Amino acid sequence: MLENKRTVMMVDDNEIDLKINSKIITITKLFDEIIVCKSGLEGMDYLNKFIDSPEKLPNYILLDIQMPDMNGFDFLDCYKRLPKQFINKCQVIMLSSSLDFGDIKRAEANPHVIKLLKKPLSPTELSELL
Amino acid sequence: MRTPNVRVLYIDDEDHNLQAFKASFRRHYEIYTAISAAEGLKIMKNVDIQVIIADQKMPNTTGVEFFQSITETYPDPIRILLTGYTDIEALADAINHGDIYRYITKPWNDLELHNSIKNAYDAYKAKIDLRKKIAELEKTNDELNRFIYSISHELRAPLVSVIGIVNLVKMEGLFNSSGEYWGLIETCSNKLDYYIQKTLQYYKNNKTTAEQTEIDFSKLVGELVDVYSYTDRDTQFTINVNQTLPFIGDLFRIEVILGNLISNAIKYQKVDERNKKVEIGVNVTADKAEISISDNGIGILNEHLEKIFTQFFKSKVQHGSGLGLFIVKEALNKIDGRIDVSSDLDRGTTFKITIPNARE
Repeated sequence: MLENKRTVMMVDDNEIDLKINSKIITITKLFDEIIVCKSGLEGMDYLNKFIDSPEKLPNYILLDIQMPDMNGFDFLDCYKRLPKQFINKCQVIMLSSSLDFGDIKRAEANPHVIKLLKKPLSPTELSELL
Repeated sequence: MRTPNVRVLYIDDEDHNLQAFKASFRRHYEIYTAISAAEGLKIMKNVDIQVIIADQKMPNTTGVEFFQSITETYPDPIRILLTGYTDIEALADAINHGDIYRYITKPWNDLELHNSIKNAYDAYKAKIDLRKKIAELEKTNDELNRFIYSISHELRAPLVSVIGIVNLVKMEGLFNSSGEYWGLIETCSNKLDYYIQKTLQYYKNNKTTAEQTEIDFSKLVGELVDVYSYTDRDTQFTINVNQTLPFIGDLFRIEVILGNLISNAIKYQKVDERNKKVEIGVNVTADKAEISISDNGIGILNEHLEKIFTQFFKSKVQHGSGLGLFIVKEALNKIDGRIDVSSDLDRGTTFKITIPNARE
């Protein structure tokens, strides 16, 4: 059944981190499918393109904070304007190497974000959220 | 000898004094004269005056009154008061309210007045130079701080990737595949990460203004212990929080202080101790929180006790960064807190902290 397929979208401008995190997900089998986006814009384009094809949409988004042009918080501003039926089924986990108190508070305050995880991504911490 | 471009304003209600002054000094300075305080003010509005000489006894506005009236609008020019009679009250007033630099009796002695103007100008220059230097320093300091902040962020991102790769190596079972090399990379990366984190903490402690929030010590201590005992599961924690009253304080700094002390208590355990213990006690009253953190670790040598809060102090045996306790002390200074330490090489170390409760 399609409903049970777990798809994650990773949005990060750092290609090495994308590679590391994809590998972690492949090894731990926490998700069945990975959508890799190298920028916030690319992620938004993908979501807009497939917004009417639920089988192509992610259930989880791993979102980096520090990105050029559209950072993680900018991404969330666009994300919240997407149709409700998608947002309600999707959960956003923010990822950051930042230890900035302001960032942590801001991420936790955002209603769409379930948690801010610190890089490096820990499989244990991630699986606790799923 | 002509001192270039020293602008002197002389205010006196007697025209012949103004003429005499001009005659004596016009070849040394740029001289402006005014017959009353009001006239003097007009000149000051148009010319950047450096030294003002005013006669005390004038109708309408006295010299002291004039000086007093311009303390806010023209704080920079150096003031010299001239007076024909010794009036103690005027003198006291001049010193207390007029911010005068010299007091000269009439009739003036040319040489004395000349020297006074020269010295006044030097004082003026020193004042302006100092202000410029302060502005420059503030700018440099600010830039340096921002530089430290951004560099720490930029350094940390790739480092975190390295740590991520090491974790992946472990997950794939390759950690021991190249002798001890992966382990060494991990140790070095963690050490570098620790330094960067401490640098950021130090920066933030310096920059951030205190933000008062309500603090639940039970929750805070619990969370911190979770975070820091993650790598070391051997240590037994006894936590005793006695908080019936709300406590208002600066959460960021208190977190930094307790975090550093708890992580030290875990780090500086005796390697062969089977019963590693850390006891944390918190007692909150209406005016303060008293926190004690005790361990049965390696202890601190008596002669080191005074130095442990200094930047980059490290004991020879231990491999700390020399930053943790320095940051603790700096953070406590910002929130008017106090710290005491007692230690015994056999029994371990106890830190006692007092932080004022900002609850009004």
